[in-house]
Amino acid sequence: MKQLHERAHELLEQKAVSVIIGYGEGTEGRVRPVFIRTLEAVRLLVWDDRCRVNLAVYLNKPEIRKFGFPIAVVSTPATVRTIVQLIAEHQLSIGDVVVLVRENDTVRALIQKEDLEQYARNNPVIFPPFVIEEIELLKKMSIEERFTYWQEELAKCFKCYACRAACPLCYCEKCITDVNQPQWVCVAPHPVGVFEWHINRAMHLAGRCIECGSCTIACPVGIPIALLTIEATRVVKEEFAFTPGIDCNAPSALSTFRVDDKETFIR
Amino acid sequence: MARIGVFVCHCGENIAATVDCEKVAKACAQLPGVAYSIDYKYMCSDPGQNLIREAIKEKNLTGVVVAACSPRMHEPTFRRACAEAGLNPYLCEMANIREHCSWVHPKSEETTLKAIDIVKTIIAKVRKNQPLYPIKVPVTKTALVIGGGIAGIQAALDIANAGHRVILVEKEPSIGGHMAQLSETFPTLDCSQCILTPRMVEVAQHPSITLYTYAEVESLTGFIGNFVARIRKKAKSIDEKLCTGCGECVNACPIKKIPSEFNMGLGTRPAIYIPFPQAVPNKPVIDRSRCTYFRTGKCRFCESKCPTKAIRFDQNDEVINVQVGAVVVATGFTVLESTFFPEYGYGQYKDVVTGLQFERILSASGPTLGEVRRPSDGAIPKKVVFITCAGSRDPAKGIEYCSKICCMYTAKHAMLYKHKVHDGQAYVFYMDIRATGKGYDEFVRRAIEEDHVKYIRGRVSRVYERNGKIVVCGADTLLGAEPVEIEADMVVLATAGVANPGAEELAQALHISYDRHRFFTEAHPKLRPVETNTAGIFLAGACQSPKDIPESVGQASATASKVVALFSRDELTREPIVAVVNRCAPPLYSTCVGCFMCQTACPYSAIEREELRTRDGTLVKTVARVNPGLCQGCGTCVAFCRSKSIDLQGYSNEQMYAEVVELFAE
Ligand SMILES: Cc1cc2nc3c(=O)[nH]c(=O)nc-3n(C[C@H](O)[C@H](O)[C@H](O)COP(=O)(O)OP(=O)(O)OC[C@H]3O[C@@H](n4cnc5c(N)ncnc54)[C@H](O)[C@@H]3O)c2cc1C
Ligand code: SF4
Ligand code: SF4
Repeated sequence: MKQLHERAHELLEQKAVSVIIGYGEGTEGRVRPVFIRTLEAVRLLVWDDRCRVNLAVYLNKPEIRKFGFPIAVVSTPATVRTIVQLIAEHQLSIGDVVVLVRENDTVRALIQKEDLEQYARNNPVIFPPFVIEEIELLKKMSIEERFTYWQEELAKCFKCYACRAACPLCYCEKCITDVNQPQWVCVAPHPVGVFEWHINRAMHLAGRCIECGSCTIACPVGIPIALLTIEATRVVKEEFAFTPGIDCNAPSALSTFRVDDKETFIR
Repeated sequence: MARIGVFVCHCGENIAATVDCEKVAKACAQLPGVAYSIDYKYMCSDPGQNLIREAIKEKNLTGVVVAACSPRMHEPTFRRACAEAGLNPYLCEMANIREHCSWVHPKSEETTLKAIDIVKTIIAKVRKNQPLYPIKVPVTKTALVIGGGIAGIQAALDIANAGHRVILVEKEPSIGGHMAQLSETFPTLDCSQCILTPRMVEVAQHPSITLYTYAEVESLTGFIGNFVARIRKKAKSIDEKLCTGCGECVNACPIKKIPSEFNMGLGTRPAIYIPFPQAVPNKPVIDRSRCTYFRTGKCRFCESKCPTKAIRFDQNDEVINVQVGAVVVATGFTVLESTFFPEYGYGQYKDVVTGLQFERILSASGPTLGEVRRPSDGAIPKKVVFITCAGSRDPAKGIEYCSKICCMYTAKHAMLYKHKVHDGQAYVFYMDIRATGKGYDEFVRRAIEEDHVKYIRGRVSRVYERNGKIVVCGADTLLGAEPVEIEADMVVLATAGVANPGAEELAQALHISYDRHRFFTEAHPKLRPVETNTAGIFLAGACQSPKDIPESVGQASATASKVVALFSRDELTREPIVAVVNRCAPPLYSTCVGCFMCQTACPYSAIEREELRTRDGTLVKTVARVNPGLCQGCGTCVAFCRSKSIDLQGYSNEQMYAEVVELFAE
């Protein structure tokens, strides 16, 4: 923590960044995001095992962007991958972000493409074991059972779009659900509207989901909604050997092809 | 409120036989936004079109739906009629109640109801149609001709003689193609070289033709009127300006035993070579894969003998980009080699040759200087068996089609053989004789009746060697499938004409389609036989399917007339069916977030990047922009865009959505 404070102090003092996005003490023993712009505020930064939420999402928010790049972000492995993926999708450029990571008990600042990619490759996103169990459980179900499972889970959704707000890769300025000419996705939170929304979301994140789990954490009614995008991305990985978040120049998995694609889905 | 006119066509009996057209018109009249609805026997006829024109004026229509056949044929007709009556043509749409309905269903109430549904969807679309205006693009009046066989030569000359510039690209060291390898040509038996060489020379001397031999087109980008071709000029290893074509280097080269491609492996050539005496240009190239210097770093004999010091070992390939307005593809074909045939000995018998090899044996410039001598021992063969359909029309071999030229050249071969070896006997095994051109059947009859060639109807099951003879076993199906066995001195296989190796890669580089057999496909087998599906790219000669010379030349001239027609205008008008990236009010300016997924998805590289700035020049963001000249309106980008920021004019999201939703509306 001391090292982080020193680094943050240095960055702000040298005006190397406009803001540092990090974790601060919240209520009831939880952490919350803080946006540090002054030297006095640096002491608010905390960094411990509770700091898991993916702060990269704030890089897309106009309220933060208006401070101007470069911006520093206190990052977990998932955050680094997100930033790499956002660079690949042209939402950020190299140099826009100073990525603060913990490595062997020291704080490192990653800025260059090679450093970001190397860190992303060497530090996979690790799920809590229950997520892995849940995926396995779903995979063992028959299609009908799985459909019932999702019907039950999604019945709870009342379309608050917290999942969308929390997802660092949902950066569209106008989401497809907000497009009303034509109204592709039903706005009402009835079964059809809810399914349409979540299927769209899974499709739009297939091959892009970083598997940070932010959407599941954000969901106020506890739907394990990340499972859909995680699985969609794994299918893309299996079919096209494509992992998001490790290559700043990666083309989009679904709109490009490689000659060595298996093409087993074409029958 | 929309005022749409619906015009239901009977198409004579084509639609009216199974669909109650009057009922369709009446039902449509009840729909919201429909101001007028009528049925008529032939909408595309003059009186039919008049009905539309008059209704537009009298009823003040804001949109037109013609319920008739496929828009592929008549959409332009009806859009023109609307334009003549003062309605923007893109407010007119066709509902296909023929191919999609009357032709595929029996006469019944349901068929009529389906027709009504189809028309309803299009009415829903037209309610959302917007006027569109054609796009104008400039034309570069230079043509690129790929392939310098007779087809490419003819196309290049015709276009150049009409006053336009031509770039002719040939991958071999000389132009001429297969015709240069032929001895004499059916059906008149005139010498192939004698009629071809003047044209080859004309190409070389034509002030409007730029010839690149030993060169290949690597990629083609752009669109009709505005292509950019990247051409790789392979290093010939000589300075063409200094070289006089004296041939000293060719004589000096110590490597002499390379099988000659021009002689189909029956003769040899050195590593530095001119493929044949009449080659254009008549200057050598070094085959680097065979040259001792390039392989071991020592030799350079040719260099020491060159009187003008024209040899360049350090020459590099040169890649150039040229701008062209149209492309003629004339890359020809090739024939199967005898190694393809297990039943004829997999090419292990030296005296079993292909038709193309036999052309070289007959040719005065060939390895035997025009005397018929067999490859194994140089003896004059006294019995020659010709086998037609070697590979062709044989689904088991993967070639169902007829190679078209073999019946004719086999008759020619047998005839020429008889003219050269008077006491020789020629046998032809055939499935049936296809001699359908002008003077063709007479030609075959001449072979049979005057030159006494023995035609045997039947297939050959096996060819094998026995005591220095080649035994041909077959059956004569006209004599009740009686087995026939001939002890021959030589066998000539009329092997199937097939697509060139590399045809697939070329098609992909040019973005044109090809069939199962890798021959390039025409846009319409009957009505657009020399166009491809890519506007501005045309096909001539055997690259489209095996053809004889008159056909190749005719097709080449046809492509030339297409190119010249294209070049007769300074600007092209294009259909405005293109994608556009949206604009909206500040602070968004556009909902595009610049992910550029569309850019990677577009098969025509039509998507660029554009910086959006406020009036005082501050950068708001970088978004996608569609180049309307390049866009083909395929809509792929629309499907990919997550935020639906890109839309296809004429087939917008709103229009398609309206069509689909209409089907579910009660
Ligand atoms: C054995 C035999 C006998 C025949 N006898 C007769 C006859 O008597 N009468 C008759 O009318 N027809 C005859 N034909 C048919 C005749 O050969 C063809 O009709 C004619 O050659 C077709 O001309 P083309 O220009 O389309 O193709 P080709 O002659 O094949 O020429 C194509 C040219 O394109 C070049 N090329 C290929 N790929 C590329 C590339 N990627 N880039 C650049 N250049 C490329 C090739 O090197 C070649 O020079 C005979 C054919 C055969 C096989
Ligand atoms: S896919 Fe859509 S959002 Fe992305 S760049 Fe293209 S138009 Fe813009
Ligand atoms: S519609 Fe879109 S994908 Fe298709 S050619 Fe046009 S810009 Fe490219």
